[in-house]
Amino acid sequence: MSEGPIAAAQADGRTTLTEAEAKSLLADAGIETPAFSVTADSDAAVDAAADIGFPVVVKVSSPSVTHKSEWAGGAGVAVGLDSAEAVRAAADAIFDAADARDIDADVLVEEARDVDAGTEVIVGGLRDPSFGPVVLTGLGGIFTEVYEDTSHRIAPIDAAEAREAIEELTAIELLEGYRGREPADVGALAEVVAAVGDLVDEHEAISEVDVNPVLATEEGAVALDALVVLGGE
Amino acid sequence: MNLQRLFRPERIAVVGASATEGKLGYEAMANAVEFEGTVYPVNPSGEGEVFGEPFVESVTDIEETVDLALLAVPAHVVPDVVEECGEAGVGGAVIYAGGFAEAGGEGEELQDAVVAAADEHDVALLGPNTSGFVAPASNLLASFAGGVERLRPGGVTILAQSGGVAHQLAFSAHREGRGVATMVGLGNRANVGFEEAIPYFDSDPNTDAIVLHVEGTDDGRALLEACRESDTPVVAYKVGQADVGDFAESHTGALTGDHALYTAGFAQYGVPTVESTTELFDGGQALANSPEPDGANVGVVTAQAGPGIIIADRLQRAGATLPDLAADTQDEVGEILPGITYAENPVDTGRPMPEFGDVVEAVAEDEHVDAVLVYELFEEALGFPQETLDGLAERVDKPVLFATEGPVESMSGDLDALRAADVPVFTSPERGADAAAVLARYATLDDAAADEEVSADV
Repeated sequence: MSEGPIAAAQADGRTTLTEAEAKSLLADAGIETPAFSVTADSDAAVDAAADIGFPVVVKVSSPSVTHKSEWAGGAGVAVGLDSAEAVRAAADAIFDAADARDIDADVLVEEARDVDAGTEVIVGGLRDPSFGPVVLTGLGGIFTEVYEDTSHRIAPIDAAEAREAIEELTAIELLEGYRGREPADVGALAEVVAAVGDLVDEHEAISEVDVNPVLATEEGAVALDALVVLGGE
Repeated sequence: MNLQRLFRPERIAVVGASATEGKLGYEAMANAVEFEGTVYPVNPSGEGEVFGEPFVESVTDIEETVDLALLAVPAHVVPDVVEECGEAGVGGAVIYAGGFAEAGGEGEELQDAVVAAADEHDVALLGPNTSGFVAPASNLLASFAGGVERLRPGGVTILAQSGGVAHQLAFSAHREGRGVATMVGLGNRANVGFEEAIPYFDSDPNTDAIVLHVEGTDDGRALLEACRESDTPVVAYKVGQADVGDFAESHTGALTGDHALYTAGFAQYGVPTVESTTELFDGGQALANSPEPDGANVGVVTAQAGPGIIIADRLQRAGATLPDLAADTQDEVGEILPGITYAENPVDTGRPMPEFGDVVEAVAEDEHVDAVLVYELFEEALGFPQETLDGLAERVDKPVLFATEGPVESMSGDLDALRAADVPVFTSPERGADAAAVLARYATLDDAAADEEVSADV
């Protein structure tokens, strides 16, 4: 379904993919995502959580909701749910809030990942008016926002070039295991950077991909959240 | 588009030529008549002659086919003049006037009209909004600027987005006893931009290196691809570090400076970038007059420790490496100068001495070294190691750069001799180090870009 999520959004006249659509697109491109399921009612959400295994994260999934964590007084995202009851409560809250706001919403149930077990990285792809598809990467948090420690490439690139881009970051030492931290799998992260570049290069409809964060651990690199924006015209 | 008739014409017309001193049409004509080929002054209201050439009413009245037309006419008549040039079979035109796309609105429409006329008749346009170009080897002075007749031939072609920067680079090269192959101000790049000019000068036999001044172009990818395709080495100076407005609002977009894309893109496509006009021409000069370096390992020979330390520091910060010299090189240097100050790398002789040239040669022959940078203050009694340096780069097949300082009056003859022998010469430790670093980066980036091309084909 590599064209699926994009085609679905276009058919709806949407310029952004839902998180689930974006993650399907990434998964099809070979990027690891947490196991997830989109469900239309609370019973299905509980079943999905049992299949995925606790703990899970429950999030609102709707084209009408772009800022999930700020939506409905915080009901849009519930983390660290380790029982069927907790999942049901979180799903009910989302469906109730959606009804109250008169919008269509599903619930995304997703395998929880321990963000403290790795380093949060941003990987972005853009269609630049002058250079066409480009890809950037940087460490998350203050490294991107304050230090503007990012590294750019003209896409498409191979994994070796992506690795060079990562190694140009000032904060590369954090990924390589500074002061006893476990070194992250930079090779796996490079594959993500290259794959995001390929996505923008291969799908002309995409104007921006924002995978934030990618959790880089010693075992690999997994996309915890993703936004895909399609060209407006 | 074939740029041969634009940049290497045999016959030129100056449209809007004037006999009135100080007018653009006079200055353009004064420069154009230095050309070895035929030059026709064109002006319907011109009477008699200018610079000994009789006025012609229109380019369509010239019996021979004109290759290049220099348009010293106001912006609003340019579309008609280009149309006439097209009808007369002119191959290229330089448009000096401003007031086109850079002025927005009606100017953009005017430029569109000019491009439409040019494209219909396959006329290559330099400009509009440019001071033109100069090719000193054939006295082709297609610029209205005064003083360009003094420029000397050399191996570096300047492709500057701004005509002002093109002339700045050429005149500063001239001041330092250097020449240029062709100096081009691209201006608005109506139908000849970087992506057209780079391949042309890549195949130009007079051009040994191309230096780019880039403010911004709407097809950055085409620029990068032209650079990668070029066998002739390219160095670039991208000015302006402002963000791209369109992207500033989106989350990752705010992190994506236009400048960062240019810098990353040039590196990715094998082009070293620099941060000043001085570094740009110095780097181009080093590349033009040197065998292609195999890597980033620089051997430094200095007669004074202080400048040597500046060089060692600056080289490494700019991406070059300073390898230890091979043991037999160190032995050889020790035999030439027993008790030498420091014989690893940099090699510091402590003071200028008659054996200095032998030390330079020993380091140049070291297998660990991809390029050599020599620093020696000028000493009247010793001069420069002229005999050693003459042809050394070719013998060892690696770049050998020379940096120095001294009283201009006493060293100028020796400096000229070095330049005549095609030794890249620089007048400060920093400039020598920066130029050597451009060579080092070119060697490593070029390898990476070549690897990428190979893998892309698989």
